[in-house]
Amino acid sequence: MHPVKTFDEILADVIKSEGGIKKCILVDRTGLTIAHVSKFSYYPLDVDGIGAIASAVFCASEEQGKNLDVGNLIIVTSEFDDGKIFAAGAGKGVLCVITDKEVNLGMIRMVMKKAATELAKVLEEFLSEKPSVETGKTDSDREELRAALGELERG
Amino acid sequence: MRKDTQGRMHFKIVFWGPSLSGKTTALRWIYDNVEGLEKGSFTSVADHTGRTLFFDYTPVQATEQVVFEIYTVAGQKRHAGQRKVILEGVDGVIFVADSAPDQMDANIESLSELRELLGQRLGHEIILIVMLNKQDLPNAMQKDVMLAKLGLGNVQCFTTCAISGENVKRSFRQITRDILMQHVYQAPAKASAS
Repeated sequence: MHPVKTFDEILADVIKSEGGIKKCILVDRTGLTIAHVSKFSYYPLDVDGIGAIASAVFCASEEQGKNLDVGNLIIVTSEFDDGKIFAAGAGKGVLCVITDKEVNLGMIRMVMKKAATELAKVLEEFLSEKPSVETGKTDSDREELRAALGELERG
Repeated sequence: MRKDTQGRMHFKIVFWGPSLSGKTTALRWIYDNVEGLEKGSFTSVADHTGRTLFFDYTPVQATEQVVFEIYTVAGQKRHAGQRKVILEGVDGVIFVADSAPDQMDANIESLSELRELLGQRLGHEIILIVMLNKQDLPNAMQKDVMLAKLGLGNVQCFTTCAISGENVKRSFRQITRDILMQHVYQAPAKASAS
């Protein structure tokens, strides 16, 4: 199955599982947003910026856990006046879920745990394709890189 | 370099350096002044005085398929844990050194931390560009002296003033160019090369 569809499918399942979930974002541990799904198409968000923060906050919390020797990080919960943000590790990625204020915490945790396991597998497959891309770029990749060089020269 | 699900190539650049050396100012200058490239939002995790607590971030798109994800780190010593996180997956580092003589020890310490985290990859597979910032100071240290003290020999270096933007664009253009060139002319996969 093509990873793109799978990422979106898994994130869509998360959104549908609890009425209060507004947005799901999957980021890798370098801060790159890999996929995202919103309940409403008009929900305006700077997804790249939010993904970068979600990844950094989760990874920093993990680092903190290592320093304090308190075991593996399961979930980061941030509670605000009008909503909540959850972040859970998903293998080489981080699953971030944005919700309304009133949500079923137990359900969220359970759904995120299940989705994180699925995403970890798909992400592993998706990212394992990188070495061949990294070292054996396609002609179109090289053309794009050359075009980008041209843009930078003009800038 | 990482590819997203749309096949776009993402390159990560990190501004690194001691506290108050001008990393955020340089990135802000690029964000405000470099034209012809599509920029996303400027995200900053900073305290109420504007000092970076975690990182600043902005994506800059060269073409539809090539995106530079640009970060700064928090320079203060106590933020070492956060800096390590931001460095994950980096393709190029702009080391921003403070040209004030009393900041030389801080520069050396910051570069030492960077070398420790990236090891032999720094300056080889991870591009390194040096900005000797605050060259507008009346007592600014000279380029050769600074590079010698930092133990940097054959490195691409620019004397800059992040506030006025002097040579900031050149530094940015150099690192983006070097990263792209490295990937355009990268050796083919080991399997096919052997």
